[in-house]
Amino acid sequence: MGVPFKDILVYLDGSESSMTAVMYAIKLAKENDAKLTAVFVVNTKALSELVKAGIFVAIERDEYQRDLQSDADRYLRHAAKLALQKHVEIETVKLEGTVHVVVRQLLKEKQADLLILGGITDIRSRREELASETDRLLRTSPCPVLVVRDDDDIWLEFEA
Amino acid sequence: MNLLDVLDKDLVKVPLTRSDKQGIITELVEVVAKAKGYTTVQYEAVLDAVLDRESLGSTGIGNGIAIPHAKTDVMDHVTMVVGISRFPVDFASPDGQKSRIFFLVLAPSSEASAHVELLASIARTCTSQVFRRMLEQSKDREEVVRLFME
Repeated sequence: MGVPFKDILVYLDGSESSMTAVMYAIKLAKENDAKLTAVFVVNTKALSELVKAGIFVAIERDEYQRDLQSDADRYLRHAAKLALQKHVEIETVKLEGTVHVVVRQLLKEKQADLLILGGITDIRSRREELASETDRLLRTSPCPVLVVRDDDDIWLEFEA
Repeated sequence: MNLLDVLDKDLVKVPLTRSDKQGIITELVEVVAKAKGYTTVQYEAVLDAVLDRESLGSTGIGNGIAIPHAKTDVMDHVTMVVGISRFPVDFASPDGQKSRIFFLVLAPSSEASAHVELLASIARTCTSQVFRRMLEQSKDREEVVRLFME
């Protein structure tokens, strides 16, 4: 685990704030000459929950599974394109499972020294079941976490 | 993405006034169409998408809850309408229980991840019997929003 950071992992879920986090991660990786990995998780845990709860029928589960895979590929391609713009090498990783569990595992495998997240929500409810996957990642990460606020300045600076 | 990310007071209706499955779905779609100013064509496209999905299998999930949902590119983003009925409505739930709590979830095809996460968040949130009972007894939209935010 080193400072300055040498092995950075950024989590993206397709939200605007996670794309802001990717931009920030690219700039930080460039400044620190660090290795950068972008990870997207196909949330098969949520799909299983929906089938178990009877919300999805089988045909629907299969359709959404394909949609989720397409989502992952699209957003990871976009992250790679953004990195290329700034001449930063990026490894893109697509995982399946429970988001905070598989990302934590990847962080350990890679011995990453920084996790970058966007989209941490304010505490709006005491209900544990309303915590987002990003919130869970923040709480369970084995390495330091940097939370990028959804800030227009980051987009402007990146595009400059 | 979780339920609180899309909870919007303008998309909550208490009480719903229709008394059958098709009527409830129509009423929920009317709420979103009115709030977002949809044209008749857009309203009908959303309603058709929800009814098409319903034809694959009922979205009554038991414990008095139904979650009609659909993918439709009329929507810009994942959207949720919450409706509470004073009277139990038959949604062909597997446990045979009629429904009083309804969540209509609509999403564009480009937001599959958020759509799936929201549906899972609704399912998790409604596992508490006490919470379901409080929702069923809520008097107005403000109370529904307050219950989720507590």
